[in-house]
Amino acid sequence: MRVVIAEDLALLRDGMTRLLRDNDIEVVAAVADGDALVREVVALRPDLAVVDIRLPPNFRDEGLRAALEVRRRVPGTAVLVISQYVEQAYAEELLADRGGGIGYLLKDRVMHVVDFLEAVRRVADGGTALDPEVVAQLFQRRREDGPLERLTPREREVLELMAEGRSNAGIAQSLVLTVGAVEKHVQSILSKLDLPQSATDHRRVLAVLAYLQQED
Amino acid sequence: MALIRPTLSDPATYRRLVYLLLGLPLGVAWFVALVTVWSLSLGLIVTPLVIPLLIGLAAMTRGFGTIEAEIARGLLDVDARASADTPSRSGFWARFRAMFGPSFWRTQAFLLLRAFVGFPIAVALISLLGAALSLIFAPFWVPFVHGGAQLGFWHPHTFLGSIPLVPVGLVMLPATVLLVNPLTAVFRPMVSGLLPGPAALPGATGTGATAAANQLDPKPVSPAARRRALEIHAVVDGAVVSLLVLIWALTSLGYFWPIWAALPLALALGIHGWLVLIAERPSLVAHFRGSRALADTAGIGGVLALFFIAIWAITGHGYFWPVWPMVGIVIVFGAEALAVILSSPRQADMARRIETLETTRAGAVDVQDSELRRIERDLHDGAQARLVALGMSLGMAEQKLAEDPQRVGELLAEARMGAEQALRELRDLARGIHPPVLADRGLEAALQSLANSTPMKVSLSVDLEERPAPAVESAAYFVAAEALANAAKHARARRLDITIARTDDLLDLEVEDDGVGGANPEGSGLRGLRRRVEALDGTLSVISPRGGPTRIRAQLPCAS
Repeated sequence: MRVVIAEDLALLRDGMTRLLRDNDIEVVAAVADGDALVREVVALRPDLAVVDIRLPPNFRDEGLRAALEVRRRVPGTAVLVISQYVEQAYAEELLADRGGGIGYLLKDRVMHVVDFLEAVRRVADGGTALDPEVVAQLFQRRREDGPLERLTPREREVLELMAEGRSNAGIAQSLVLTVGAVEKHVQSILSKLDLPQSATDHRRVLAVLAYLQQED
Repeated sequence: MALIRPTLSDPATYRRLVYLLLGLPLGVAWFVALVTVWSLSLGLIVTPLVIPLLIGLAAMTRGFGTIEAEIARGLLDVDARASADTPSRSGFWARFRAMFGPSFWRTQAFLLLRAFVGFPIAVALISLLGAALSLIFAPFWVPFVHGGAQLGFWHPHTFLGSIPLVPVGLVMLPATVLLVNPLTAVFRPMVSGLLPGPAALPGATGTGATAAANQLDPKPVSPAARRRALEIHAVVDGAVVSLLVLIWALTSLGYFWPIWAALPLALALGIHGWLVLIAERPSLVAHFRGSRALADTAGIGGVLALFFIAIWAITGHGYFWPVWPMVGIVIVFGAEALAVILSSPRQADMARRIETLETTRAGAVDVQDSELRRIERDLHDGAQARLVALGMSLGMAEQKLAEDPQRVGELLAEARMGAEQALRELRDLARGIHPPVLADRGLEAALQSLANSTPMKVSLSVDLEERPAPAVESAAYFVAAEALANAAKHARARRLDITIARTDDLLDLEVEDDGVGGANPEGSGLRGLRRRVEALDGTLSVISPRGGPTRIRAQLPCAS
């Protein structure tokens, strides 16, 4: 797997590079701003761009805009946006193009090396990785007497992990269940929320997120 | 039925009846006095005599206003709440001008309304009560009156013959009393909105709810309330004129006398409309060298001139006498304009402005100072302490590396969790200083993010065409954030409405919850917010009666 990193803080840029290289992921370029990122992606065609949301010159959302630009210029490049903060509004902007290969995670998650690498691989393979905090915000918005109330606590846990973009196998591992048990929970959730069966994990994530974003 | 009995047995109903009946003598008295002094003043407008007359008129208006306010307080339990005018400077001319400030015109409007609305109501009530009483006592007077009672085709003239009249009167009497409450409802907003209240005087201490409301709400007359008052005024005038036209149509259809009621009402409405207009559009005042008083005079003079021309037109034209009062108006306006130009009214305004700036700047510095101290404390107790603990875990891990690999694993996991915790705390702290999403995406996105992080049901309505200045945005954000935190923490609210709109040069933020109320506007959180808002020349009002709901409103100037 070939990766480009855009992160303005040298300490974090080098740390991230080392972390990925130690785990047999090839870091083909590590840059410090959004323009350089777009340039390198166009030149090197990596599988994945890991982008910090706040980049020079204004340290606002340059990283996010560079990530969207990357998607526009080289469609199919997976993008993992990392940030000190997660905001649902940004998640919606990132997921708006509905193609797969999108990740949006807190920088903290890097410390859980195993989980982080799993998310990197999932996004590079066209999957989705949404930070649990974004998912929590989405759940927070829908409460009281909605169909979500009809889910069992276990089904809720499974739904949260589905929204984060995990596969059935990933959910099973995370909750220490068998894949068969997870599949049963997923079936039950989809029918309770009246959601369609989806061929890919990515479509399933979009359906779940669309459901959670509905105004009630 | 459930409503009728308490109304009839409530002594307050009869006090209100007395208030309405007083409309007859008071309405006549005010009308006669005002018409006399006004016509004298206008007649003598070109002579020096007009000055003492005008001073007399102002004093008289204030006196009548005080009497009406006291009567309303005693009989209607309504407190007069409009602000009284105080001269901003000493000196005869400034005091003279202050006499004819908005409070004077509001009181005038009230007195005229008391005459034109109160008088017909009192007459109608007296007729109805008289009729009811004479019906009830019909058996005792009908037999002794020659020809008996004359009721259309029916002429009872004996004791027994007039007994059927008694129940009619017995129904009519309470029915008339039931009219009292809806009729007094007309006067309540007029009293509270037009008459100067004691609590509005600087230094005076009002009692009860009025004083509290004034403390909480430094700007008691909101634009919406002002507009509503004008609407009520227009509706009442329209109703009175329609009623008179109806009476005219039903009676004689001869000379169109209702015009004589309609014209003064139109005059009062025109003046009121002008005052509301300049209150809502500060840009209009700028055309009068920034003098509110001059703008008042110009509009009121114009309306008065139209009034005289209308009278001239309906009294058969002829000699154009309105030219004389118009000359007077122009002289008054010219003199005032000259005074405005000479005495540079901006000087007084500037002195006041400097005073305000000194206070609000001190407030802003205080806020900043305590904010910095809070941040320092949070850093010290939070992230710093966590990093020390993290370093200790790492040090111990280093020490045990060779002898106890399992313990090393535990210590490293501990260190990682400490780092995560520190990050979370730093993130919350930064968000409390300035949420990044506010800078990146503006107020609506930031408030939506805030709404997403609370279990309360938040309805958010933001109507802004362009983004206000960052300082205004951030003040509005923190007002909403504090209101939300208070609603969740203290008021046990379940839902919250946040409305943000922009009117002219004001950003208007209103937050209302459904909680138990009782918020202390002098508590540290709200006081800090007030200072923050005032530093931007805005106002913050907190209305939080016990039992709820709490309403927090911030108005922030945002000139584009």
